[in-house]
Amino acid sequence: MALLRFEAVALPGGAVCDLAVPPNQVVVVSGPEDSGVGSLARFALGLEQPQAGRALVLDTEISRLPRAAALAFRRRVGYLPAGDGLLQNLTLHDNIALPLRFGTGLHEHDIEGRIRIILTMMHLTVVAMSRPAQVNEEQRRRAALARAVVFDPELVLMEQPFDGLTDRAAAELLEVARGGVAAGGSRRTVLITGQDLPHLLRARVDARYRVARDEVLREV
Amino acid sequence: MRAPIAFVGSEVTRRVSQLGALARFFLDALGSFGTLPRAGRRVARHVLVNQIWFTALQAVPLVIVLSGLLSFLVISQAVRELGRFGATEIIGTLMVVAIVRELGPLLTALAVAGRSGTAIAAELATNKVMGEVDALEGMGIDPLHYLVLPRLGAAVVSVFCLIVLFDGVAIAAGLIAATANGMSTDRYFDVVLRSLAFGDAGVSIGKGLAFGAIIGTLPAFHGLRVGRAPTDVPIAAGRAVVGSIVAIFLCSALFVAVFS
Repeated sequence: MALLRFEAVALPGGAVCDLAVPPNQVVVVSGPEDSGVGSLARFALGLEQPQAGRALVLDTEISRLPRAAALAFRRRVGYLPAGDGLLQNLTLHDNIALPLRFGTGLHEHDIEGRIRIILTMMHLTVVAMSRPAQVNEEQRRRAALARAVVFDPELVLMEQPFDGLTDRAAAELLEVARGGVAAGGSRRTVLITGQDLPHLLRARVDARYRVARDEVLREV
Repeated sequence: MRAPIAFVGSEVTRRVSQLGALARFFLDALGSFGTLPRAGRRVARHVLVNQIWFTALQAVPLVIVLSGLLSFLVISQAVRELGRFGATEIIGTLMVVAIVRELGPLLTALAVAGRSGTAIAAELATNKVMGEVDALEGMGIDPLHYLVLPRLGAAVVSVFCLIVLFDGVAIAAGLIAATANGMSTDRYFDVVLRSLAFGDAGVSIGKGLAFGAIIGTLPAFHGLRVGRAPTDVPIAAGRAVVGSIVAIFLCSALFVAVFS
């Protein structure tokens, strides 16, 4: 069973996307900016509605759920939006803690413990109390990914996650998103969308797709 | 001939539908209180306290200056002029009707709308432009819970408290003005308290709640309606403050029509 499925989804650029992301796989869909490839994660999360077709996460079409159920369902998916989506008036620490504080009944002491581990893992301890505008792009991206995986979700959706990063930093972020290795591949299932994937990472993903004129083709 | 009529018609339709969207936004924001997750209450309370700090506490000096100067000037002039005709009795009515019931809530709300209304609209518009609102949705956090509800609550609490402060300072400044112009303290309190009715306090409270709701809702509504362009931020802030001022005056007129 695929964890994420796009069934004849019409992208804003005109191409039709039909693809399934199996569990424990890292799948990349790339294409030019005007192809609308950046909308795939938003379709999956129900933040946007495709003109045709449907996107299913764990066999559920989030956009059809009642609002409260859709919000609760989204907490099961890690989402790294294009840019970073960090709240500018919060420190990196509070940005990462926000989903835990809002979406779990965890005690502040437990949240603090978990955040400390993630900050160390992402090399953000020194800048944890800085606001997004006070740190560099790589640190912002690390913080945004830390926030996306703070719930330890099964599925992670990443929009243009490696733009402007060095290959080494990009490889490191990909490893964090994968969450380590499991019997079937990565521990987590990851969908990456963007314009291009750094060369160094091509061997580290399980499948690559490219948006052509009117369809999405698998790259060999 | 048809073109101007069509223009007026479409403009009226647009305004009415915008009013409907605003009313729906307000009701959604109120209704979101019922769906706020238990865990989210702690975070929302934290945002609420921060907003009260910014909206109410930081505005205290401004309100004291406005209220003190207004009351001092009006009462000192009134004592001098009305004293010539032995009509100092009217000072009580002037203080209660003009300052406590009408100008106090109005000036306080205008000050808060200019100061905090623009800030709320600009902040939420920036949140939207920077993709932070979508990121919140993507994390399963309702922007109404995290961004709107605490600001609405804080605006209501802040405006109400600042109106009470305005009235208190106005009465104190009025006393200073009256005694400086030869009126005794007992006489001042006698005429003011005699003019003060329970209904005046009720109207003042009602205005505090209504004006607070306007300042909490309109800027948030305009802030969250922007597109993706950074140039939309100042436009939203401008619309928010103009809309809030117009709504406050209309609401004030409505209070006069209903409660006079």
